[in-house]
Amino acid sequence: MKLPQTRYARSGDLRIAYQAVGQGPIDLVFVPGFLSNIDLHWEDPGYAHMLRRLSGFTRLIQLDKRGTGLSDGVDPVHLPDLATCTDDVRAVMDAAGSGRAALLGASEGAPLSLLFAATHPERLRALVLYGGYACFHRWVQDSEAVERFVTQAETSWGQGRTLRNFAPGRSVDPELQAGWARFERLSCSPTAAIALARMNAAIDLRAILPRIRVPTLILHRRHDARVNPEAASYLARHIPGAALRWLEGRDHLIWTGDTDAVVDAIEEFLTGTTPSTMPERSLAALLALRVTGASRRALLDAELAERMAGFDARLSNEARCFGGSVMASGPEGRLLRFDGPSRALACAQILNDLARSLGIGLGQGVHVGEVLPGESAAYGSIARIALALAGQAASGIVLVSTVAAEVAFGAGQHFATWGEVRIDGAFVAVERLVPEQHLGRARRVPRRDPELAPLTQREREVLALVAEGLSNHEIAGRLELSAHTVKRHVANILLKLDLPSRAAAAALLARSEGA
Amino acid sequence: MQGTTAERVSAEGLKHAIENRDARRLASLYADDAEVRMIDRNNPPSHPRVVSGRAAIATYWDDICSRAITHAVDFAVTEGDRLAFTQSCAYPDGTKVFCIATVELGDGRIARQTLVQAWDE
Repeated sequence: MKLPQTRYARSGDLRIAYQAVGQGPIDLVFVPGFLSNIDLHWEDPGYAHMLRRLSGFTRLIQLDKRGTGLSDGVDPVHLPDLATCTDDVRAVMDAAGSGRAALLGASEGAPLSLLFAATHPERLRALVLYGGYACFHRWVQDSEAVERFVTQAETSWGQGRTLRNFAPGRSVDPELQAGWARFERLSCSPTAAIALARMNAAIDLRAILPRIRVPTLILHRRHDARVNPEAASYLARHIPGAALRWLEGRDHLIWTGDTDAVVDAIEEFLTGTTPSTMPERSLAALLALRVTGASRRALLDAELAERMAGFDARLSNEARCFGGSVMASGPEGRLLRFDGPSRALACAQILNDLARSLGIGLGQGVHVGEVLPGESAAYGSIARIALALAGQAASGIVLVSTVAAEVAFGAGQHFATWGEVRIDGAFVAVERLVPEQHLGRARRVPRRDPELAPLTQREREVLALVAEGLSNHEIAGRLELSAHTVKRHVANILLKLDLPSRAAAAALLARSEGA
Repeated sequence: MQGTTAERVSAEGLKHAIENRDARRLASLYADDAEVRMIDRNNPPSHPRVVSGRAAIATYWDDICSRAITHAVDFAVTEGDRLAFTQSCAYPDGTKVFCIATVELGDGRIARQTLVQAWDE
């Protein structure tokens, strides 16, 4: 999409980057949380959706605080205080010609907005606080946790490791983590991140709350995973006339989870009308994976965890081969999203092979339906059905809702009637994928000798080169792997085939090819 | 009817109030049950944004007039109970907006207004 024009407002000696987008009569200034980059926001589907909807009824002005995103950096030795940052908001409003705006402060942007409301009430039409707080140490993190964060920023800033601080439970999602790593790098340098963390940790604005005289709406997700929901109750009790609205979910980041619920509440508060826009839904096929109960019972916890780590290391790449991505990963199982069911089914077969080679019993389920943008699909009924089917599937079996099977009609997949599953009080007709009966798979898998069946595709490639007499170093060079990885592959091959040496493995390959 | 200053709405009166960003005066030109329909990029003809009633219209003009913009009503035409005008606006950061509006009067006040606007983006 075409990015809105970025402009710069002068605040003292620094320049603050901002964008104004939308044609509505109300000016809405968005003060983001800890990290921001106003260009990058448009690249995240959830963020872009939220900004587009907000700018549908306002002139939305978003800015990067000093030291972050596209704005000038700060001197970490002379940290700006919160009051200086409120000057930045005022400077942006002046530059954009906004005399009186509504302020939306999210997370760390909320205390900044509170201070602005207390010091410049004449410039505010209304105040909306999302996932906010008045005292950092009381409702967000104690001193020890802040120091842990600082250490993390010092050693691994830019790798996405701080995600667990903002989205606990989601940090295992490799896609989200990769996106967050980029967000870290493009939002600020590690030095600035540490400086900002220390500035935020010092926030305690409890004393000014009774002085706020602007119509205020407090939004907080009921199970916010970063900022204790008590923080919202406290704000509501101490800001005169403030309204508190609880939203469902545990996401702390304003652009993840059900962003429509956030925007609906803001639109209703600012315009007095209930929004009637249809949420943008899209069709998706979801593939759910679950370790079977039998496999759980047969393996020690540590064994299973180790094998699953090996599985997860490959999962994202395999999904990407079929245009899919990992949406959620947790004790409930794994959830992958694809554009259509035939891709999900083709990937399911590859994952079956992978699980078998690792000695994991895996049941899989596929369902299609309309999902909301962002990550909310992970919690919708489509996901519940896919997960339920995976839970019913025995090891190596892929259960497919009849709806998904019908959508995949003509793609070369074959199904056998399996039965019905009761989910959320309704019966879902289910088919079982019959993988052997079709000829053209989306990704051709070579016929395998039963003796070599336990090997993965990569291990076969390594074995073929072992048989050519190549050393581990030579194989590493040929396959663009590290020698250490090749060594591990060779050890796995010998273990799986129960063979004593490389020579024996090479001989087995020669026998199977000659057969 | 409000007060004694219930003069009939004229193109000149509108131009003066708009160019001086006089929100209170602008709100007083509307009938109690007036309706303003806005059409722009985000509010297409099939789903225009509608502001109904003088109180909501007063809030609308409060918001618009709080912006540090220059407004120029550069063309206006009147025909009986109908009025049309164009308006050019400029923000301090250089963004320009052009707007064309038609107004229907009832008992000398604005009963219905439709405006179409285009923005620099």
